[in-house]
Amino acid sequence: MQFFSVIRWIAWKDLLSEYRNRENISSMFFFAINVILIFSFSFSLDPETIKEIMPGIIWVAFGFTAIIGLGKSFLVEVNNDCMEYFQMLPIPKGAIYLGKFLGNFLFMLSVEIVLFPLFVLFFNLDILDQFLKLLLISTVATIGLSALGTLFSALTVQIRAREVMFPILLLPLSVPIFIGAVEATRGILSGDAFALYRHWIELLVVFDVIFVVVSFWIFEFILDY
Amino acid sequence: MATAIRGIELSKSFQHFQVLQSVSIEIASGECYALFGPNGAGKTTLLRIFATLHRPSAGRFEILGFDGNRERAKIRAAIFLIGHGSYLYDDLSVKENIQFAIGIRGWNPTDLEIKKALDQVGIGRFAKLRSRYLSAGMKKRLSIAKALLVRPKLLIMDEAYAALDELGVAMVNEYIRNFTKEGGTVLMSSHDRAKTAEVAHRVGVLNRSVLNEMSVEEMSAADAIF
Amino acid sequence: MLSTRFIGWLRRYEKWFGIAAVILIAIGLYTGLVTSSADYYQGEVVRIMYVHVPFAQTAMFAYSTLFICSIWYLWKRDPIVDNAAHAAAGIALFFTAGGLLTGSIWGKPTWNTWWTWDPRLTSFAILFLTLVGYLMLRSFLDDKEKRATFAAILAIIGFIDLPIVHFSVEWWRSLHQPLSISTRGVSIAADMAIPFTLMSIGIALLFTYMLMVRTQMLYLEYLLEAKQGRLMSEEHL
Repeated sequence: MQFFSVIRWIAWKDLLSEYRNRENISSMFFFAINVILIFSFSFSLDPETIKEIMPGIIWVAFGFTAIIGLGKSFLVEVNNDCMEYFQMLPIPKGAIYLGKFLGNFLFMLSVEIVLFPLFVLFFNLDILDQFLKLLLISTVATIGLSALGTLFSALTVQIRAREVMFPILLLPLSVPIFIGAVEATRGILSGDAFALYRHWIELLVVFDVIFVVVSFWIFEFILDY
Repeated sequence: MATAIRGIELSKSFQHFQVLQSVSIEIASGECYALFGPNGAGKTTLLRIFATLHRPSAGRFEILGFDGNRERAKIRAAIFLIGHGSYLYDDLSVKENIQFAIGIRGWNPTDLEIKKALDQVGIGRFAKLRSRYLSAGMKKRLSIAKALLVRPKLLIMDEAYAALDELGVAMVNEYIRNFTKEGGTVLMSSHDRAKTAEVAHRVGVLNRSVLNEMSVEEMSAADAIF
Repeated sequence: MLSTRFIGWLRRYEKWFGIAAVILIAIGLYTGLVTSSADYYQGEVVRIMYVHVPFAQTAMFAYSTLFICSIWYLWKRDPIVDNAAHAAAGIALFFTAGGLLTGSIWGKPTWNTWWTWDPRLTSFAILFLTLVGYLMLRSFLDDKEKRATFAAILAIIGFIDLPIVHFSVEWWRSLHQPLSISTRGVSIAADMAIPFTLMSIGIALLFTYMLMVRTQMLYLEYLLEAKQGRLMSEEHL
């Protein structure tokens, strides 16, 4: 169906471009490493404190990754007026949003997966047996961040103060994602039973569904104002 | 003959600066209509309104019978704009850019069809080149290759000959001739009267929102048209 | 599309809202500050509630207005509706800031802290930041249709998110701290109910008055830009 092929084409284009120049992923990755290193220096490494603050550190690092990486997601479209080409396409514009969203989600998730071993390394975390559960949380939270981030990127990309406006818009409204992700991560790292933190995952899922749907519907107006 | 474009009292202002005021125009199917006028007259704006990139501040228009306000999707399926933007992705090759541009419109040309189109516009040997290395003229030829593959009913060309060398201009003119012979309509803007005279059927000169229409002969004979 | 007759209507009736607001607020303040009794537990400090609660309620009311105008704009693309949205956002920011400030002033003597991450305060802080973001976004966009559309999109997303924010913070707080601190702590005695009601209605009327005035101001700016544009275009055309 043409709708899904549009999504595939856009995600293909973004992934191929990124594979060729690796600019986005490398800046996201190295920024996150910097954050991890700074936290690693600043806090004393006794295991009790680490367990307390680790979920926060993880999600601060991922949050910065989102700000660096998602903000310029539409920049490549603006560069050669490609947004105009999208505007002239006889397709539902929400498919373009979903294509960009998919690419962004995959970038962010791959950076997060690579960062997890670093958390093990610098903070002596024992998370190998909980890796799958952590991956689940990351996936669900990253869907929400990517959903909002892709939409706000489209809103701010042509503004001269883009780099300032994007985090100003994204951070307050993604508070539920961070709360849910930190609490669920804390539950996993403390070895709690799944039932104790599952409602956080449910919150994230609800958030994801609402914002992917709303952004998909509202994206039409960004291209055809 | 059916009407391809009908614009009625179109006005457009940006930031309250009025670029077009009550411009009306009618273009028949199968016709090549050339729009001239001084820089800043609003030619590009008018073309972009018909390409559905801008909504007019006042007035209305129809393209191929579809209303410009309510049936924009149907218009978009039938037209193609070759404008100032190259609509290219720097990290993708020429061939990949074409695959994306056409694929996202709903059909996937075969490698052979792409090769044929690229050869026809003269950049066949650059198929694997990253498009960041293309010159302006090559990008223009690439846009024409896209148009060849899309086969729209209405082709809108803003500054048709910009950036092209002599061979390129001849190639464009041949494309326009074949295109109109097969029933397609062309709306183009240009600054080159001699080259345009070879393909245009009708001429309009837009100056200060006044559209002065004339025949191709009049355009060629006059010392200055605005 | 709303016509200039609507603006004329605003101009004619604004003073009634203004007068009603002043009267109700005056009586409300008098009964609240002077004649009603102090709270048994909180003492005189409770009187700030007569300002704080109406401010907070009106901030929510203002944001709802912004939300409705935003949806309306996306549907009809009416510039007057966009002016109203812009007006509502600025006024909502004023009442949100006022609510946060008065809440903080009340909080210090009552909870011994200027701030706490209580669900309501957090939601209010997020609302404040969203409104600031909205006004900043508007200031950075020059194309009037783009500005109106993008701002409307932001307002709609923020409005949908706000209940989720409140909900998630409430869950989070219930995990980490028992709700010993509660903003619901004011029991309403009869002689407190009257000033509360008067102030609530009075400040809501004040908001309406401010909205009517500010919408007209923004509409005049819009007309002025149009006139300037026409004067410039006359040379061009």
